[in-house]
Amino acid sequence: MLWVIFTITIALIPQALSMPVQLLPLIVLPIAWRIVAELRGWRPMPLLVRIAATAMTVFFLVMTYGGLFGRRAAVSLLTVMLALKLLETFKVRDARIVASLSLFLCATQFLFSQGLFMLVYAASVMLGALVALTLLQRRDAFTGKGTVPPSNHGFLQELGYSTKLVAMAAPAALVLFMLFPRWGGPMWGVPESALDAKTGLSDSMAPGDIQNLFMDDSPAFRVEFDSPIPMIRDLYWRGPVFWNFDGRAWSGAYYSRNVPAETLPDITPDSIRYRVQMEPTERHWMFALDYPAITPNRSRVTIDFQLLTRPITRLRSYDMVSNPDFVDMPELKIILRTSALKLPEGYNPRTLELVQEWRDEADSDSEFIDRILRWFNTEEFSYTLNPPLLSQHTVDEFLFDTRKGFCEHYASAFTVMMRMAGIPARIVTGYMGGYHTGSYLLVRQSDAHAWSEVWLEGRGWVRVDPTAAVAPGRIESGAMNALSSRRYMFDYEWIRSLKNNFDLLQRGWNEWVIAFGLEQQSRLFQPFGMERLDSTKLVVILVIAITLIAALMSPLLLRLRISSNRDAAAKLWDTFRRKLDKAGINTSAAMTPEELGQAATTVKPGEAEEIGRISALYRQIRYAPDAPSLESLRKAVRGFRAARQGR
Amino acid sequence: MSGISVQESTTGSSLQDRLQQAMNSVNSILLGKERQVELAFSCLLARGHLLIEDLPGVGKTTLAHALATVIGAHYQRIQFTSDLLPADILGVSIYRRDREEFEFHPGPIFSELILADEVNRATPKSQSALLEAMAEGQVTIESTTHGLPDPFFVIATQNPLDLVGTFPLPDSQLDRFLLSLTLGFPDPKVERELLTAEDRSKVLVKTSAAMSTADVQALQEQCQRLHASEALLDYIQALLAETRNSRWFETGLSPRAGIALLHCGKALAFINGRDFVTSEDIKRVFPALARHRMTVPHGMEVTVEEQLTSLLNQVAIP
Repeated sequence: MLWVIFTITIALIPQALSMPVQLLPLIVLPIAWRIVAELRGWRPMPLLVRIAATAMTVFFLVMTYGGLFGRRAAVSLLTVMLALKLLETFKVRDARIVASLSLFLCATQFLFSQGLFMLVYAASVMLGALVALTLLQRRDAFTGKGTVPPSNHGFLQELGYSTKLVAMAAPAALVLFMLFPRWGGPMWGVPESALDAKTGLSDSMAPGDIQNLFMDDSPAFRVEFDSPIPMIRDLYWRGPVFWNFDGRAWSGAYYSRNVPAETLPDITPDSIRYRVQMEPTERHWMFALDYPAITPNRSRVTIDFQLLTRPITRLRSYDMVSNPDFVDMPELKIILRTSALKLPEGYNPRTLELVQEWRDEADSDSEFIDRILRWFNTEEFSYTLNPPLLSQHTVDEFLFDTRKGFCEHYASAFTVMMRMAGIPARIVTGYMGGYHTGSYLLVRQSDAHAWSEVWLEGRGWVRVDPTAAVAPGRIESGAMNALSSRRYMFDYEWIRSLKNNFDLLQRGWNEWVIAFGLEQQSRLFQPFGMERLDSTKLVVILVIAITLIAALMSPLLLRLRISSNRDAAAKLWDTFRRKLDKAGINTSAAMTPEELGQAATTVKPGEAEEIGRISALYRQIRYAPDAPSLESLRKAVRGFRAARQGR
Repeated sequence: MSGISVQESTTGSSLQDRLQQAMNSVNSILLGKERQVELAFSCLLARGHLLIEDLPGVGKTTLAHALATVIGAHYQRIQFTSDLLPADILGVSIYRRDREEFEFHPGPIFSELILADEVNRATPKSQSALLEAMAEGQVTIESTTHGLPDPFFVIATQNPLDLVGTFPLPDSQLDRFLLSLTLGFPDPKVERELLTAEDRSKVLVKTSAAMSTADVQALQEQCQRLHASEALLDYIQALLAETRNSRWFETGLSPRAGIALLHCGKALAFINGRDFVTSEDIKRVFPALARHRMTVPHGMEVTVEEQLTSLLNQVAIP
């Protein structure tokens, strides 16, 4: 019983953690009560208490979720009810239900997350539940009505038994996974936001946003290059572009979000070809290097070269070609120019003063830009993860007082200065660089970055990364190495490399399991000359495969039961029995030679004599003091050919 | 069903014949119970005592009486009642005034074959008087030890239904019985024969002894010399081990029961004219041997017999 409680508890943990806090006692209390009851030998709760508890739970759930429908609410209902079930779980039958429901509950967890970690967790719950079920089964099978005698099977043995069961089921599960017909769209019944999306970059940027991302080592996307990999410092993965500044936060412009790009770059031999596999974000942006030359399915390129699509709720892979030499917008439209110069009134007076002074001294736009970048470089600006808080005049305070900041501070300050000087400028956020694992490039959330783009006459939009002026290391070798101190405790080099290796696994999992959809499935049989598979063909293949597995497994399973450490005579006897089995005579290891002879006589009178002779011979060899030689038995068994039944 | 027969030995030839003859005449009295008769004989040859648990009137007494007659044994019947005293079984010392000393008057226990009817009706004191005698093969009264005859064979009966006012035998005393049998109702054909044929008691009177008690002793000697192979001992051990698994019974069979199983198997093999024991013998003896020694764990709704049958069907024969 304790084992059942243990199983259900681990099955409940993740659900409980993702539920509102006020529901937690509903789960913890029944479990605690049941453990105490088990140890003290208490009676089950009275019926009235149980009914009251159920009613209260439903009431709570309706209060919390506003109803019992919907994925969250339904799973919570299941979770809490399962915990409450423990209050009345005193019979084997109930315990078995609880163990089975634990399995089910564990499966519902996949509605929320399908990561590798979940897999390991689900596997352990499954093993636990199976062990619980076997224990229950064993007891039930031999004790009739529920009284539990001590079991003398060790825990490890049970675990091994359960593992064996799982291993036996594995081939069938694999075939079902590969061949069960898929639908093109998201899984039936699972809402769009089913997967555990990492939000990543968002549609606005305030000081501190990217800094939060920087603490997060989870992968954002992975890239495989078909063409030579560019230098790390050129890997600017373009994401959201911001035009509007309200004095503190940047946000995107309606216009740029909705007007498509006028011309897409040409695909040249120098273009970079790659394939991106994105983690779900629930956002619209897809990431590409400057400048995307093609648009993947169901996506579009905006006028500021953001690559937009429907919210990404599952792993998404797309092929991409980028042309880095493209000139973005040689002519700047008035409407864009206006929004690229707009600044809120009355902010950052000190910066304005400085900009106006330098602007007058500079001969050209580029000279002015260079001066500012040099200034960033030579003055005591530092790149830090823990910048002081800024209040109203963020740019003023940053440039003249604190001088400590992160890429977003630099990009923001730089863009504001540009606009003050009358140079159209905007902020681009995205990811910078990545970690090359050997076969692919891994870009993490912590690679998030922000930079500026300025529009220069004749050169179009030009990327300027002020962070590069302050901390060139950030650009050359990644953000991690630009910092002198660790981000948090345990932030060691070897842990990071461990994480990088783990990502290899994670990627394989993504590629082969989670992303295994309609496309991959229909390509599965290409090597065998079947081009596209429709559902009907798949079902046919599925049935054939399952039958094959069953046919291959069952003799194996049957043979496993006969222990192998037997002497020669016993082995011959086993062979003989198998032959009889085939002939339709039911034999068992617990049958004496005489019983076997009788069974054979009733089923096959024609061969009774022969069977009787072999049985008698075996009996002599086994039990008589002066046994005849084994050879005679061997000959007899080899020569024995029972006619098949029904012929 | 061949096998190297005992008949090859010169002295045994007639012995074996006489044994068959004895069994045949018991079978002609107790109709349709060949299996039970065979087991009863193997119990006798294994120097054990027999417990018959069944309803009144199915032939318990007839079996005991017939057995006594064919082996030519001196036969006594003790009807156990709640007021039966140990002295009624063992005998008493009576003061003889003429000789001025106590003289021992042996009780019914001093016979070669005893039928203890309804053994669970007597008080534990009287029961243990009988059972001690069975175990020791001798009786001690007032510090004088009196040896019991050899062979000494007790057939006790119990009525399983009418339990009011009975003293069920404790497990330790049940262990003194080697085998326990149930006779059961006869099948219709046999029953018809019983109705039409001569009265059994008259047949019994006409029956003569087929062998002597000396023969029984000799047979008991010979039985134990039968060959038991390694594989057979493995099987016995496997069975014993399985009975000790708590999923079947409250407690398992004792080592003594294991030895008894082997002895009984040998006797059965001998009766079947073999000089080696097979798994078949063990399998046939096992239920009778284990029935009265086992209890089903509390809470299980199966009978001991059912448990024993499924146990036998599960233990693989090595």
